[in-house]
Amino acid sequence: MGLKASFRGVSLPPQKVSNPAIENAPLPQRVVLPLGHGGDLVCEPVVEIGEEVKTGQLVGQSGDFLLAPVHSSISGRVADIRPWFDQLGNEVLSVIVESDGNDSWEEELRSDERFLEKETVQLLTDLKAAGVVEIGPPAMPLHAKFAHPERPKEFLFLVGIPRAKLVDTVIINCIDAEPGMSLKGAVLQENSSEILAGIKIVQKLMDTAQVVLAVGSNGSLNAPLTSELAGLGVKVYQGKDKYPLGLNPILIKCVTGREIPLPDGSEQDIGVAVVDAATLVHLVEAVRDLKPQVERVVSLSGAGMGAVKNYKVRLGTVVGDLIEQLGGLKGEPIKVIAGGAMTGIALFSTDIPVTKNIDALIFQTAGEAKSFSQDACINCGTCVRHCPARLLPGELSKYCEFGMFEEARDKYLLHCIECGICAYVCPEKRPMLHLMRYGKRELSLG
Amino acid sequence: MNKAVSIDKPMLRVSVAPHILEKRTTSHLMYHTLLALVPALLAGIYFFGFAALKLALICMATAVACEAGMQGLMGRKLAVKNGSGLLLGLLFALVCSPELPWWTAVVGTAIAVILGREIYGGLGNNPFNAVLVGWAVVRISFAEQMNTWIMPEPLFGLEPGGYIEYPPLEVMKIDGVEALVDLPWLDLFIGNVPGTIGTVSVVAVLIGAVYLLARRIITWHIPVSFLASAWLFGIIFWLIDPETYANPTIHLLSGWMVLGAFFLATDKGTVPVTGPGMIIFGIGCGLITMIIRYWGGYVDGVAFAILLMNATTGLLDRVRPRVYGRVKEVA
Ligand code: SF4
Ligand code: SF4
Repeated sequence: MGLKASFRGVSLPPQKVSNPAIENAPLPQRVVLPLGHGGDLVCEPVVEIGEEVKTGQLVGQSGDFLLAPVHSSISGRVADIRPWFDQLGNEVLSVIVESDGNDSWEEELRSDERFLEKETVQLLTDLKAAGVVEIGPPAMPLHAKFAHPERPKEFLFLVGIPRAKLVDTVIINCIDAEPGMSLKGAVLQENSSEILAGIKIVQKLMDTAQVVLAVGSNGSLNAPLTSELAGLGVKVYQGKDKYPLGLNPILIKCVTGREIPLPDGSEQDIGVAVVDAATLVHLVEAVRDLKPQVERVVSLSGAGMGAVKNYKVRLGTVVGDLIEQLGGLKGEPIKVIAGGAMTGIALFSTDIPVTKNIDALIFQTAGEAKSFSQDACINCGTCVRHCPARLLPGELSKYCEFGMFEEARDKYLLHCIECGICAYVCPEKRPMLHLMRYGKRELSLG
Repeated sequence: MNKAVSIDKPMLRVSVAPHILEKRTTSHLMYHTLLALVPALLAGIYFFGFAALKLALICMATAVACEAGMQGLMGRKLAVKNGSGLLLGLLFALVCSPELPWWTAVVGTAIAVILGREIYGGLGNNPFNAVLVGWAVVRISFAEQMNTWIMPEPLFGLEPGGYIEYPPLEVMKIDGVEALVDLPWLDLFIGNVPGTIGTVSVVAVLIGAVYLLARRIITWHIPVSFLASAWLFGIIFWLIDPETYANPTIHLLSGWMVLGAFFLATDKGTVPVTGPGMIIFGIGCGLITMIIRYWGGYVDGVAFAILLMNATTGLLDRVRPRVYGRVKEVA
């Protein structure tokens, strides 16, 4: 399947290791489980301080459709329920569980091989109960992606968001978008049976939709998998190595030729749903094993790590604890980044828990960490040549720098997809992405 | 609310994404462009002797001194290191006659730096190409000094090209097209004719241009549309009346055309940044150049064409591609 559209972008330095094997991280001594995933909404805690909890036990719940339930990722005792910083520096009410070291599950996991015979409503109910979250931005419960206007009321009630538009394309995103991420290719290799099962579930939930598996140059599909995919009627989209192909807005454009209507639109508005490969595996575990999402695969990299590694980490493991348990770092990190090298967030402390919305951690040493200048734009136009949204980032950055936010809005600031390319290429090393986000935030405050 | 997390751990650096940056900086751009101009300078030295090198050094020193002085005076960060002053000085020298008195060169360069660039806020924020501003001022004020030419005397190897005593465009303007019939095109191409230091040798300039394109410091849009539009415009008139109008290829090979298209019309900050904008800019430059060459009062139109088109940059930057996700606006 070929490219439906070309886009501007950059070739980023390639990963040194491709698809490192996924190892299990050691069981943490304590976990910090935030009851929300960004935003002001948080779940109600359903456990009390001092209570014993099992792995997979529900600890937080909410009636809101945009909040996934939270489960304990280890067994032990609830030590505290109090606000804790998330990766953005917001305080989020969190349940802190201290491990008893047993990792005993609430219910024995049992694999139900007949999961495909379940009713769609049942599938969705199981998925929702497992609290699977699709990685952002914006992070959202996975079941919300499967809105379907032609389904019975119960189905709609589960999804919660009435949509008029029928999703006709589901894209399974297996592309590791940015340096620092190497998990999706690895997931595709190691969990190919789950990927296939997941595709079948998706096909059942969205029966009229075409499923497209998007792989980058890192994703090698072996022959049996290819033929199975063909048998399922899945199209394979082979992408090239160019950032930001792995980012949803551009991926959708390349696969379907459609663009998300900005500033307010979402992928549902154009009948597309993008599901991350790693999330798809959680989807299968949720409906097949009735296993809540208690872990996720995280890529660890950077000079501090030495090598690129993939670990399956229990949710809520504090980054500092994780490093300690893995035997420390090779180099003193000066910057710890949650997410990829192009769009990730630099953590202000290693006391931040791994959440469902963190898929990579980069430990940069002093030699690696970059900083921005405060120099003026020289109007060189480099950013313009590379902006995938076809904006004039240099001009926008000046508007934002000088507080002319309305002018920036007129010049389509809100169409920026925050890929970070303009900052990457700028010869003056201006903090371009910061200025874009700053402008957007000021506009959103009105 | 009690303190949620103790932050007295080892300090981590926080910054916004991205966390990797391309190696290329402004100084990279400037020094690579300087490097790309070295062949043109060497050609100038080869044909006109060390007077050319002397002039280049004077201009570069003046430019750097003025730049540093202005930045100090205006309390800005000293940015001499990035090489933009050196580049400006060298470009100025390359578009002057090797016979130019040193004081004229100093005045021209100083005007270029101070009035052409620094008073607008420095590199990239000047509306007009600084080199050309400086050049235009001295060209008008000291027309005589700017119009003294010497014959090329290649240091070794080649025979001096003695067909014409003035730069080809002057000959064409004054004596008409027939005066150039004997002139071998090869002389024009390698630069064995009178003219300014860096523009006589088309081949040397092209070597630098290929380097810039290969390094992606400039894009093809402006040079290609500049040269193509000039040539196409020229061929129309040449086909109509070859007695009055010269073969357009001669026009491309003489005067500032090639240096202008690759080095002056791509000056960062004074030209549009979008693809379509750049192409319109290039076409405009090409047409105005030819119009001035054919019917204008000045011999070579490149400088004024670029300056004129610089004025339209703000307008041409409105010509932009459709942005991602733009839906038809409802009025
Ligand atoms: S302006 Fe936005 S979309 Fe364009 S390069 Fe910058 S971050 Fe990416
Ligand atoms: S790349 Fe940087 S200096 Fe160049 S136009 Fe863009 S913001 Fe300005």
